[in-house]
Amino acid sequence: MSTIQLRNLTKTFGDFTALKTMDLDIADGEFMALLGPSGCGKSTTMNMIAGMEEPTSGRILFGERDMAGVPMGRRGVGFVFQNYAIFTHMSVRQNLAYGPRMRGAAKAEIDRRVGAIAELLQLTPLLDRKADRLSVNILQRVAIGRSAIMEPAIFLLDEPLSNVDAAFRAVMRTELKQLQRQFKQTMVYVTHDQLEAMTMADRIAVMDHGVLQQVGTPLEVYNNPVNVFVARFIGAPGMNLLKGKPAESDRGLVVDLGPLGVTPPLPDGLATTLRGARGDVLYGFRPEQVALAQGGRGLAMPVTFVERIGARTIVHLGEGGGAVKAVFDNDVGLTIGQTAIVAPDASSVRVFDAASGVAMKAG
Amino acid sequence: MADIVFRNVTKRYRNTLAVDDASFTVNDNEFFCFFGPPLSGKSTILRLVLGLEAPDTGEILIGGRPVNAVSPAERNVAMVFQNLALFPHMSARENVRFPLVERKVAEAQIEKRVADVAAKLHIGHILHKPPAQLSGGERQRVAIARALVRDPNAYLMDDPISALDARLREETRVELKRIQRELGKTLIYVTHDQEEAMSIADRIAILENGKIRQIGAPAEIYDRPASTYVARLLGSPVMNILKSVRGEGGVEAAEGTIRIADRAAPADAVEIGLRPEDIKVNPWADGGQGRPARVFEVEPLGGYTVVTLAAGQARLKALLRGQPNIRPDAMVAISCEPARVHYFGQSGGALAR
Repeated sequence: MSTIQLRNLTKTFGDFTALKTMDLDIADGEFMALLGPSGCGKSTTMNMIAGMEEPTSGRILFGERDMAGVPMGRRGVGFVFQNYAIFTHMSVRQNLAYGPRMRGAAKAEIDRRVGAIAELLQLTPLLDRKADRLSVNILQRVAIGRSAIMEPAIFLLDEPLSNVDAAFRAVMRTELKQLQRQFKQTMVYVTHDQLEAMTMADRIAVMDHGVLQQVGTPLEVYNNPVNVFVARFIGAPGMNLLKGKPAESDRGLVVDLGPLGVTPPLPDGLATTLRGARGDVLYGFRPEQVALAQGGRGLAMPVTFVERIGARTIVHLGEGGGAVKAVFDNDVGLTIGQTAIVAPDASSVRVFDAASGVAMKAG
Repeated sequence: MADIVFRNVTKRYRNTLAVDDASFTVNDNEFFCFFGPPLSGKSTILRLVLGLEAPDTGEILIGGRPVNAVSPAERNVAMVFQNLALFPHMSARENVRFPLVERKVAEAQIEKRVADVAAKLHIGHILHKPPAQLSGGERQRVAIARALVRDPNAYLMDDPISALDARLREETRVELKRIQRELGKTLIYVTHDQEEAMSIADRIAILENGKIRQIGAPAEIYDRPASTYVARLLGSPVMNILKSVRGEGGVEAAEGTIRIADRAAPADAVEIGLRPEDIKVNPWADGGQGRPARVFEVEPLGGYTVVTLAAGQARLKALLRGQPNIRPDAMVAISCEPARVHYFGQSGGALAR
């Protein structure tokens, strides 16, 4: 069983706490993404799982086995770094064959495995090319192949796609997912790119400042972020958050956003919660879950910028703390200087406590 | 006036044609973006504008004036380099002052220019800090201020925000566009990020192996790509391009993958292109509006969902809004409005319908 359990895992460097009491269970065969901005502790977590660094306190279990004191080479993990480590004087074939050869596999067996992994990663036509003649994109593919060929039960990848170009990254996302499906390894994938985490992972562990914020499926963290950090970090663009006060109106409970006016009435569950709340709240909604409305039914905001990006148009509205973004189809027809009346889809509205940033659950 | 004109410019490095017979006009005050894969000639074009390289053949004009024989210093175009190379041992103010100090401009003049530029870029309050204490976005603005302080005719940026993380890039690109609009200067911009190019450019020039393949507004290039090459460069997921066969009453793509009821389809089309957002996906049970396809993969992005479909002999990707209830291995019916189909001929060039 290649489950990974992190128990109260903590890592400090002098005064600096890189990771604070992290608990996480990764299931056998699961694709888990560790997601967060630089300095959030994701790589530190990964390095401890790999055995490159010892925890300051807490435990790491693979299956039932405590990994304390077990050196990297004995943990049976495959590891791919941001900067591919490839033997440049060797051919692609020799690089792929390196691991099995060191383990003393028979030649026929090595050939079979090299052939299979090369096919999977579209390296077959390049097998006899010298590594030093290959592009960064291809080298990263070779690096992944060289680890994958060992068929490790646990596969760790630390930002493997951050140095490859955008078009290739899209291709590799699909390939990595297929690779994992085929070999059914337990995969831990470190990234700062929420798109990579959303598209590949079974579950995402969102981290910030050394603290695990939320663990869930991509849609769980997108739809129900536990706090404003997760709400802003997940999504492109992230969730809109507007500060206001709960207020009664003849149409139901609304949030008074000050100069922006009042929001449409909140759904019953959230209204119940907010009636008991004190202090300011943050009214949150996804840019993709906004409709254009007629007067009085939404928030009137000036269009400050319009970005048409391929299939979608991102409309920037309002200024400063009252700024939001809305994503529309390309026929939206809004231009800078116009006033748009935007109505968030009622079921997608989320409310957070303004002081703590914590999501308020519908009552 | 600082329009920038290339007339049949070619630049060769040994055996490599870095820029191949390029002709274009960047208009005064335009935000003009060069986009293409690595080594397609983007950076060489910047170096030719700056005067760091001379063309082998052809002519370059800045503001109507031929500059082939004009030194970089006299061209008065400023460069913001990749990764915002600020001098780390100098404060932000000293960084911004540097180009003027180097040119021995009078101190009073320097102070005035720095104050002007700092006000425009809203960096007055951080000028005392060293670069290490600035955020990515602030460093960006200081680097731009340093480029602008000379009051150049035009400025050039080579992938200036590629080092920032995704969220900051989204914010900064909008900021850059605002700054350019406010300053009203010609800006030539190089990027490898197609989202960025589409977001900020007034016009984009698409490059392939030193050749300009298409010039136009981002929406124009996205909606009417001149070739399969251009079509594949812009868009995420990329355009589905399928072999096509003309049949009764329309086009049959990739051996039955999808059928387009388009009697006006050009007779010489060998490939069709379908943007993922133009593919309609319906449950198969709904009476089968379209050809059958099996759902191979579902990637939820939150606001959108990418569905990979196995249909006929091909795989294609569809981009759906929201979070539709579609599971792998489900059977669906796929179709596409004829008006949304792109047709390409033998050499990959787009065909008029």
